[in-house]
Amino acid sequence: MTENGWMAFSILIAAIFTDNILLTNYLGMCSFLSVSKEIKTATGLGTAVVFVMTCTTVINWLVYYYILMPLDLGYLYFIVFIVVIAAFVQLVEMIVERVSEPLYYSLGIFLPLITVNCAILGACLFMIIRNYGFLSSLAYGFGAGVGWALAITCMAGIREKMAKVKGKIPKGLEGAGITLIIAGIMALAFIGFSGTMNIR
Amino acid sequence: MEKKEKKIPLINWQPPMVKVLYALIPLVLASVYFFGWRCLLVIGTVNLAGFLMEYLFVRNWKEPVSAAVFVTSTLLALSLPPSIPLWMAVVGIVFGVVFGKMVFGGFGKNIFNPALTGRAFLYVSFAIPMTGKWNEPASGIPGGFAKFTTDAVTSATPMAAIKAGNAAPPFLSLLLGNTAGSMGETCALLIILGGLYLIWKKAANFRIVLGCFIGMMLLQGTFWLMHIRHAPDPLTTFLAGSVAFGLFFFTTDPISAAQTDEGRWIYGFVIGILTVIIRNFSAWPEGMMFAILLGNMFAPITDYYIREFKARKKKVVAAA
Repeated sequence: MTENGWMAFSILIAAIFTDNILLTNYLGMCSFLSVSKEIKTATGLGTAVVFVMTCTTVINWLVYYYILMPLDLGYLYFIVFIVVIAAFVQLVEMIVERVSEPLYYSLGIFLPLITVNCAILGACLFMIIRNYGFLSSLAYGFGAGVGWALAITCMAGIREKMAKVKGKIPKGLEGAGITLIIAGIMALAFIGFSGTMNIR
Repeated sequence: MEKKEKKIPLINWQPPMVKVLYALIPLVLASVYFFGWRCLLVIGTVNLAGFLMEYLFVRNWKEPVSAAVFVTSTLLALSLPPSIPLWMAVVGIVFGVVFGKMVFGGFGKNIFNPALTGRAFLYVSFAIPMTGKWNEPASGIPGGFAKFTTDAVTSATPMAAIKAGNAAPPFLSLLLGNTAGSMGETCALLIILGGLYLIWKKAANFRIVLGCFIGMMLLQGTFWLMHIRHAPDPLTTFLAGSVAFGLFFFTTDPISAAQTDEGRWIYGFVIGILTVIIRNFSAWPEGMMFAILLGNMFAPITDYYIREFKARKKKVVAAA
């Protein structure tokens, strides 16, 4: 494999495990906490995040290096990225609705939710801060999305199991409280991967 | 419902938990032999703290304290270095029992292994006392039984030595346990005997143990044959450090493991693979603890997909 390809591969693995965007950067928490009650919806949202994150990091990379940089408008990148993400999500939603009705009903409801998911913007910003090339950005966007989807799927599995065993969770901790505790222990477990791969 | 007048027993001695406690007795004795009477002090303190923590919760629920808390406490204490400050061990067990178990609703409801939750918390919070200071094991006839502690040295454990590229100690000392290390993890022979007792008594599920063992041997064997990063041979990997201890006593915790038979194979296998990956590539010398926590995390979703798959298969059979 070439140097670039090898680096992109290591970034892909690192983005899933060692630098999981949810469990080490704590981005995308709001939808993680609220949509992780059922495995079906969680995987649906996870898939949508993988798709949108991959596409938006690529588009934003192109926008940043081929439009903003030549025009010396680098300082606008926050606003531009948000606009690009929102526009892309709207566009995809419309196309999906036209082309495939079943896909729209399984994925479509989650798409508007993703527009405001901070993990998407976070991935785009990390890609700029870390000076990734095109291939690395693609790998990073995809990997971060897969990492997010993995975490939310596991969380949904855990919450379904908890609902099944019906533990006496202390009153004050029901809902978000216990979910945050689980997320904390998950993050503790993910520390084990630290050092395996380098994200930069 | 039970009658109100009936007195609630203080402790509920569940048979599987008592069996695990039996299997742990030789390990406690071995820890005293190798590292002195201080080990017993640590184990006792941790047990007391764990018991009190659980009692605080179950008192309000009007339930007995489960004997599992003694298993959790003893396992946690045995997985700590002999020179651990007492207060630190207490912090570990309090965190493990409260956040690993009681907030989920107590015995039988926990998602993660409470002892490992506590240990992981200690490991990332107090890295130096947990990984930097080890005691020289005692030898000879009275051994540690005549001492309070053995000499503290900063010598590396077998795992850290291997990571640094040095030769691993010979098999025999790994098997008998006269190497530096955590209190209860050094003597592989007693751990294996205790583990086999648990499997024989059906307190531990053989599928998990076997799955984990196979996964570990396969991947470590591959790394060893390919000479990747000083990867030691699979047998040393199995005997050195906490692998045997984790394999027989932590992975087999029936509550935090997968609940279906196929899931148990996968659960064990995944832990084996992750242990090898974390040991050889991550910043930590030891991987079993993190691998088991990750395994706990993946277990519910594994079960879910296995049940889904079976349901679908049944439907296909019914349709055909």
